[in-house]
Amino acid sequence: MVEPLSPLAPVWKPGSHGNFVDGVGVVLSETRPGSIVEAAAWHGAEKKLMAAIRKATGLSLPDGAGAGAYADGRGAFGIAPGRFLLADQAEGLAERLSAAVAADTGTVTDLSHGRTAIRVAGPKAEWLLSKFFAIDFALPAFPVGSGLATVHHDIFAQIQRTGENAFDLYVFRSFARSFWTMLGHGAEEAGYEVR
Amino acid sequence: MLITCPYCGPRDLAEFTYQGDANRVRPDPASTDHEAWYDYVYQRANPVGDHKEYWQHSGGCRSHIVVVRNTMTHAVGSVGFAREHEERKSAARHKSGEKA
Amino acid sequence: MSPRRAASGGRIDRARTIRFTFDGQAYTGHAGDTLASALLANGVTLFGRSFKYHRPRGVLTAGIDEPNALVTILAGDVREPNIPATMVEIYDGLSAVSQNRFPSLGFDIGAVNQLGGKLISAGFYYKTFMGPVVGPLKGTRFWMFCEHFIRRAAGLGSAGHAADNARYGKMNAFCDVLVVGAGPAGLSAAKAAAAGGGRVVLADLDAQMGGSTQWSGETIDGKPAAEWAQALADELAATPNVRILPRTTVWGYYDNNTLAALERVADHKLTPARGEPRHRHWIIRAGSVVLATGAFERPLVFRGNDRPGVMLASAAERYANEFGVLPGENIAVFTNNDSAYRAAAALKQAGASVAAIVDIRPDVSVAARELAAQAGAELLLGYAVVGTEGGKGLSNIKVRRFDNAGTLSGEPRIIAADCLAMSGGWSPVVHLASQAGGKPVWDAERQAFLPPSPTQNWIGAGAFAGAADTETAIAEGRKAGEKAAGEKASRAKAVKVFAPALDPNPAPYREVRADGKAFVDFQHDVTAEDVRLARREGFLSVEHLKRYTTLGMATDQGKTSNVPGLAIMAEARGLSIPEVGTTRFRPPFSAVSLGALAGERYGELRPDRLTPMHDWHVEQGARMYAAGLWFRPQIYGHPGETVEQAYVREAKAVREGVGMVDVSTLGKIAVQGPDAAEFLDRVYTNMFSTLAVGKARYGLMLREDGIAYDDGTTWRLGEQEFLMTTTTANAGKVMQQLEYYLDIVWPELRVHLTSVTDQWAGAAIAGPKSRDVLAACVTGTKVDNEALPFMGIVHGEIDGVPVMICRLSFSGEMAYEVYCGAGYGLHVWEALMEAGEPFGIVPYGMEALGTLRIEKGHVTGTEIDGRTTARDLYLDWMLSKKKPFAGSALMDREGLLSPNRLKLAGVVSLDGRALNGGAHVVTGGSLDEPGEDIGHITAVCYSPALGKYIGLAMVRGGKERIGQRAYYCDPVRKRFGPVEIASHHFYDPEGSRMHG
Repeated sequence: MVEPLSPLAPVWKPGSHGNFVDGVGVVLSETRPGSIVEAAAWHGAEKKLMAAIRKATGLSLPDGAGAGAYADGRGAFGIAPGRFLLADQAEGLAERLSAAVAADTGTVTDLSHGRTAIRVAGPKAEWLLSKFFAIDFALPAFPVGSGLATVHHDIFAQIQRTGENAFDLYVFRSFARSFWTMLGHGAEEAGYEVR
Repeated sequence: MLITCPYCGPRDLAEFTYQGDANRVRPDPASTDHEAWYDYVYQRANPVGDHKEYWQHSGGCRSHIVVVRNTMTHAVGSVGFAREHEERKSAARHKSGEKA
Repeated sequence: MSPRRAASGGRIDRARTIRFTFDGQAYTGHAGDTLASALLANGVTLFGRSFKYHRPRGVLTAGIDEPNALVTILAGDVREPNIPATMVEIYDGLSAVSQNRFPSLGFDIGAVNQLGGKLISAGFYYKTFMGPVVGPLKGTRFWMFCEHFIRRAAGLGSAGHAADNARYGKMNAFCDVLVVGAGPAGLSAAKAAAAGGGRVVLADLDAQMGGSTQWSGETIDGKPAAEWAQALADELAATPNVRILPRTTVWGYYDNNTLAALERVADHKLTPARGEPRHRHWIIRAGSVVLATGAFERPLVFRGNDRPGVMLASAAERYANEFGVLPGENIAVFTNNDSAYRAAAALKQAGASVAAIVDIRPDVSVAARELAAQAGAELLLGYAVVGTEGGKGLSNIKVRRFDNAGTLSGEPRIIAADCLAMSGGWSPVVHLASQAGGKPVWDAERQAFLPPSPTQNWIGAGAFAGAADTETAIAEGRKAGEKAAGEKASRAKAVKVFAPALDPNPAPYREVRADGKAFVDFQHDVTAEDVRLARREGFLSVEHLKRYTTLGMATDQGKTSNVPGLAIMAEARGLSIPEVGTTRFRPPFSAVSLGALAGERYGELRPDRLTPMHDWHVEQGARMYAAGLWFRPQIYGHPGETVEQAYVREAKAVREGVGMVDVSTLGKIAVQGPDAAEFLDRVYTNMFSTLAVGKARYGLMLREDGIAYDDGTTWRLGEQEFLMTTTTANAGKVMQQLEYYLDIVWPELRVHLTSVTDQWAGAAIAGPKSRDVLAACVTGTKVDNEALPFMGIVHGEIDGVPVMICRLSFSGEMAYEVYCGAGYGLHVWEALMEAGEPFGIVPYGMEALGTLRIEKGHVTGTEIDGRTTARDLYLDWMLSKKKPFAGSALMDREGLLSPNRLKLAGVVSLDGRALNGGAHVVTGGSLDEPGEDIGHITAVCYSPALGKYIGLAMVRGGKERIGQRAYYCDPVRKRFGPVEIASHHFYDPEGSRMHG
């Protein structure tokens, strides 16, 4: 099987960078999920879609805007009314989910190649993301599992909090290299590690 | 300026795209009444005070919303999903049509 | 005598010596010094030359309100002008220079401007540049010429030409309570607000928290005020829910309690730490705000009040108490209020002698008399300073009796003094409150504008709110903090402050009228007489006054000049100050570096958008160019080839053999749902519901006004699933328009849209041998004409990767678009190149793509330019008559059907020279006198198929002119020559090549 190529390949430089004398504030990594999928429900069929997502991924999505769940390398969260972004380290989620979502429930779109997943973790993760996004990243305002969609100038990002100090960002593949470079630049003062 | 998206919550203006006056009514698609289309495409009131307008949360959930904004102060009076607003509007039209 | 460092005292670290230069001369100072305090300590009194008159100027203040001592900081070749010396923390290696002087600060040629002072009074520019109405110098041209020289003579520092390599950053912050100002009120507010557990941000423009406690000499809770403040600041720094931002000026108060602040992160260091920005631009969204921004002392307006050595009393006090610097040896004080008496006592205690306290008022408080006695000063009540003497520094002051009506009497008395500390009362720093909305309110007792009632969620405290003393400020600060955090008022015991019981109210006099220049706005050289002149010339409103005289404009924002200026205008008009009103303060409160506003966005400014094959193109030597945010290959040039030679070679290869181009940038939208076909019928001019699954169709969209909008092919992948492609340029806009239709116009349709532009890599493979290349590498499907007819779609694999192939042609040759998952894009591209090698495949860029489409007469964004209709482009055949569609009603408007419209045509160069896009098409004449303008050229190329330079054009009448002679005319590039108007279908008009 051919391995998909990461758009970050030429700029992905593992190791410590920036001002890490006093430790590393940020860890940057590409999570490279095998599947990234968007699922959208017809108006009124949101619950049915959430049930289908549970069936296909095992993730129970709480109610509410941006609500989500993350476990064992699988994540799902609301990105718009009746719309969810799902990621799984395993391939084939689009097919599994398509089978579980009836035509009168909604639609499934495979974005496994279209989005690049970048994890920003570490004690300074909130600090770094706050440089780019006008979003309150504090834990009470943005709890673990939940997600949101926002933008940094031209770069659209869907973000899920996957841990107290960890965020998974889904950006358009064509912007990923520029964005990664910006993240590294912004993380220099905090000291960062790429892994 | 912040706009409170009904899905995403308060977000910076930069995340939104202005999508025009929400008071206009699109003629029936089959209509060839140029006057009506002209009004829909070109004619706009320019009110002082509250103005009902469409915005898209293009840098977020991408929903279109109806925002009542004060043109003098930028104060946002109310915000709702455009979809629901249009469905109500069209339901109201149907109802009045039945009466007539 | 001159200023000097006191033997002891101050909050500087005398054990640490710091070396810096000013105007090239080496000096030393101590850690904790500002550039102003360190220079004063070295006996320097002359800091710069004034804006218009080039008058020698010293330092007026000790803080952000400094209008005189503006300097340029040098960092290598990078110059940063107009920085108040009072705000520069010195560091080893600091290099600063003075401004607006030539050749040197001490001897300045521009000082002759002082002699012509009457010529450059208020409104100078407006009057001068009107120009004569008749004669050879009619109009403004001559003055425009002079302006260059005048501007050189008048002004502040100049920016350099070297690129600023410093780094700047941006930060978004959210908090429950933002406290602006960390004086006694602000510190107390932050502590109270933090007690509730909410997030608190405390910002202060100084390096040290504490504000006035640093120099007040007061005692708080039995401790020296500065120690009390330090303890409180330390406590807050250790509180997890408090973020302290030192060296941070909150400069803008915007809607929805959004505030902007500038943190000077590394200005106090020679080199920032790794990755550390020099400045950070904070955007703070606060639940509520405590404004504790304090008050600025005002100068008094009298002749010669700008002579070096004349400074604000609070500044003199601050230099003595905070920096251990005596601003003079023998100091005089001139005041209309009590606060200057504390300064007098402090200066005495620091080691200076106080010659006299000149007070406009006939009588003063007991506390003030006690302080005067402590200062050992002669107390001259009912006196005013009427002039100052000295060269570049003060030597004497002249005083006369001054009565309640403002009349001077008696002979002038001369008093020797090398420093005059003046006080005209205090103005609360209401700038942010004014920016937030609401007009400041005049308080006659305090003779000051107090903050307006809040129009946003802020609470004022301390001197900002008019608190008379530190004890009140602390109590108010605590209350404000509690209220801002939404807590109930606590019953904590009040903090006791030991301070003299001074009268907070000044006398309502601030000007001593006499001949000669008495300055109101020091930064812009606006005198009291200028204000009166503006009134005489009819500029009555304060907003007009401000713009006409420049009073309180620019970085100064009226910090010291606002109230004196308004008061003089009020008096001249015979009105009260509140009747005259005040101008609205504008952001920024103080200068903000442009770098900080740009933040991380610098250099190219925009992110690069790259296709999956980008690195391959670059490795193959492609010349890349920007198409919006995308980068696309222009040509794959061989060594020694011109651009034209390269694209002609590439285009020829496509016509004769096979070529491949990266089309990943095309916009791609997944359109799914039971109503997807119906939706497409409504947005495209032609039918899509009739399209069979596994087929594609070319579609055209109009705007609602009937003008052509975008085009592209849409593929039916399933009964309820389409893949729409858009042009690269319009991808985002088309997506938004479709979302608009679904949300607003047809909410009843069950259709979902998803941008899949980045999901798919696309390669267009074109040319008579393209099918052979596919046949050589595609598995799992046939690609012959039967399996894959024109506009057909098949699914297969290339080298183990699933692909989707659609047979469609932009070049006019037999061609296919091969799509695969973007992560496989490079793999498939390379497999196609390898399979194509035996067939001589070449990669081609945008120039060749453009050439091929021009030869075929296919339109793109240069023809679908927002002005053309489908009929203008001869796309009538795409306008369905069976259904309405977006734009169908208005496209039939009379004007859009006029035969006089510009319509698509071809042009062929008849003189063998290249055409150029944008040139006009004219009927005859010459370059200088062209004939009738009948249109313009939209796209040009050398056509290898025709062996000629050709172009597409929009010309009046379009096809009707085929065969006619016309001329291209480009007055900008000075080009003119003959063309023949031709059909836009230059090549293979029957389309037999792509159908074969």
